[in-house]
Parts: sequence; structure tokens; C-alpha cells
Amino acid sequence: MHTLIMFRSLTYAQRGARVLERAGISAAIARAPQGTTQRGCAYCVRIAGNRLHAAMHVLEDNHIPFNSVFRQREDGGYQEVQL
Amino acid sequence: MIYLDSAATSLLKPRSVGRAMTDALRYCASPGRGSHAAAMRAAEIALACREAAAELFHVEDPAQVVFTMNATHALNLAIHSLLRPGDRAVISGYEHNAVTRPLHALGAQIVTAWAPLFDRNATLAAFDRAMDGADVVIINHVSNVFGFIQPLEEVAALCSARRIPLIVDASQSAGVLPLDFSALGCEYMAMPGHKGLLGPQGTGLLLCREGASPLLYGGTGSLSREQSMPPFLPDRLEAGTHNIPGIAGLLEGIRYIMAAGTEQIDAHERRMLAIFSERLTELGVSGQFLAEDRSAQAGVLSVCPHGLECEAATEALGSAGVAVRSGLHCAPLAHASAGTLDTGTVRFSFSPFHSPEEMTAAAEISGKILGNGNKL
Repeated sequence: MHTLIMFRSLTYAQRGARVLERAGISAAIARAPQGTTQRGCAYCVRIAGNRLHAAMHVLEDNHIPFNSVFRQREDGGYQEVQL
Repeated sequence: MIYLDSAATSLLKPRSVGRAMTDALRYCASPGRGSHAAAMRAAEIALACREAAAELFHVEDPAQVVFTMNATHALNLAIHSLLRPGDRAVISGYEHNAVTRPLHALGAQIVTAWAPLFDRNATLAAFDRAMDGADVVIINHVSNVFGFIQPLEEVAALCSARRIPLIVDASQSAGVLPLDFSALGCEYMAMPGHKGLLGPQGTGLLLCREGASPLLYGGTGSLSREQSMPPFLPDRLEAGTHNIPGIAGLLEGIRYIMAAGTEQIDAHERRMLAIFSERLTELGVSGQFLAEDRSAQAGVLSVCPHGLECEAATEALGSAGVAVRSGLHCAPLAHASAGTLDTGTVRFSFSPFHSPEEMTAAAEISGKILGNGNKL
């Protein structure tokens, strides 16, 4: 199961993915799946589910804002994580 | 041909610029419109270019680096973001039409801080006198006509002290003189990608802060359900498909400059100017606009040839293999300041790729055409 970190733009998703990779957290940029955004197209970074807390620290330390986080459910859908 | 029209555009470029553009045409799609490899390659180039520009110009966040078509586009964005009809804009006496025409079209109240050519103290004093009540101050860092380096840091300090937003037109200085967006505290800094930054035509940059207003509305690949432009940079100001081949070329131009160093480029261009103008003087060419204080002039030289019309001189120079520009250079205000509005000037402008030998050769040709008493 993976986790999606939602960013406000592709530029921020790219920068987020880069600092995560540098911190040893595997991160892939992806289009935000349906149901994870109410406002249309967006980009997110996909990470392993167990790296969320570490990833959040890295992003905060690098001053890269993110909007929300979704965890993949067993049925393949996504559920927002309350931060 | 010896190309001495670098102030118009950088015909001479690093080889890497063309290679990067060709690669982008072959392998890059549209950033922000998909997550396939070709789209992500384009996105990586766009981000790399924003990051390189942010590093070169000391911008805190690469998202504040906005791609534009050219400096004119960037200046229009800045002006329309900060001014409303009737607002008071204080500008230098050396502004380009890329500033004055948008101000006129907007119906802004334009106050010009008139000052003699190459007089930095008088320029600063003129801004000081004119600035009270200003809604915005706009300054051309380096005059595209005369190479006059205006006192940008000092004017920026005046603006900061009075909390007046500052727009910097860095069209002739970006890539040549050191520029620190953060330290200047300016609101916007506009520049072309194809002049001192050595990128291709069709590229420009606007360095900006939050709160900018878009000029174009359309797709951004973000917040697509909403019918207003995204509130965040750079998406807010970048509607439509990016010029990725151009941005790829611009990235290589910026990388070249960062490797070479702006101080070295500036010193080289001034040296080329000195070699060229000294030889012109030896050959009897008067009417050269040279600063007594050489630190006030970048690598641009205007000449008002004695007894010759500028257009005729330029045509003759072109036929003899020296490419220059004549006329008002889209900056009638600068000519009004320098007293050349009725004649225009012949402009020679230099680049990092010129050699002393080329300068001597160009001066020999130019001396024969522009020398006193010569009649074409």
C-alpha cells in the first residue's frame, strides 16, 4: 500500500520528490487520481505507506508545502489522512 | 560578418543551446499535462531552468521564476499587476517602449525622473524628488541605447525606505551584471531570455512575488475544475503550453553564464567596447557616447556620426560586414534624455564571444564609414 502527498502544482511536486529522494525516500511524481482532488487536475508524489512521517519531516524541513495526504485502501481507492 | 547587435539579441550563443533545443523537440512533450516520460522530461527541464535562474538572480523560491515570451511580456505582466488607470508611475528617462507603451495604454500618470546621460548622482536625485506619492517606480537597469548603468541599488533603497513597489527592467543587464532580486527587494524583475542570458528568441523571465495578475487565461494543468486562474505561482501567470525547446535552450544559456561568471562577462564586454571605441577615436570618429566614469557604461556604444544619417551609416556598415542597429531603438525617451531624438544613433553592442581582433577589424571598417567628413 502506498501513500500520496498532494501538492498545489507540478513545480512543487517536483521539488518535493527531489528532496524526498535525496533523503532516501523513494518518491514518484504522478497525476492525482480521481477522488483525491475536488478542484481538478493536480500532481502528487507517491511514497511507500510506512515512510509518511519521515517524508513529512523532510518536506517541512525544506519548506516545501503540500496540501493533503491520501493513503491507499485495500480496495485500491484512497482515503484522506487527517494530519 | 561581425555581429555587433547583441543588445537586440544574442546571435552568438553557446553550442549547447542549439543542441538542447533540438533534443527537446525530439524528446519532450508538455509539462503539467501528463505523467508519461516525455511530459516529465519537459517538466524536469522547466524546473531546472527555474532553479538555475533562481540561483543566478538570488530568488528564494524557483516558483517565483515565471516563463514569458520575452521581456516585454514580463514587463506588461508586472505593470498590469501593480497599476490601475490614473495611478502614478515614476520612471527613469531611459525607459524602453516596453515600459512606456503599457503605461500609456493603461492610462497611468507617468512622471519621468529626467537626468543627464551617465550621471548616476543626478539620476538618483531625480528619483528622490519625483518619488513622493508614487504607486510604482520603474527603472531600466542598463539603457539599451547607451549602455548607461543606472543606480539600481540606490533607487531600490529609496523605494524600500518609502515602501514603493519597484519594477526592474533587466533587459540589458541580466546575464551581464550581478543582480540580486532578494537584496534589491523589488516587486518584479523582467528580462529577456535571448539577450545576455544567451537563450533563444521567444523566451523571457519574470521574477516576481505573490499577488501578480495574469494577462493570459487558460489551461495550466492544475485546478482544472475552477474557472479562475490558480492563485499560486508559477501557474497563475503561465497559461497555455510552454515553449519547452526555448526553455531548454535558455537553461543552457544560463548554465553557460553561471560557469563563466557575470563579472567576467561584464569585464570582457567592457574591454571589447574600449578596444573598439579607442580605435574609432584614432580614426577620427566623433559623436561617440562614452561615460567619463567607465563604471557607468556597460557593453553598449551609441554613435551619432557627424555628417551622416544613422540609417545610411548602418546600411553601409551592414554591406561592409558589420551588423549593427540604428534609429531610436524603441526607446525615444532615452534619446530625449540624451538629446538625440531627432537623429537617433548607430548602436554597437558587444558579447562574451567577441575577440579583440574582431573589435579592431570592426573599428577599421566603421572608421572608414563613420569618420568625419565622410559622405556616402
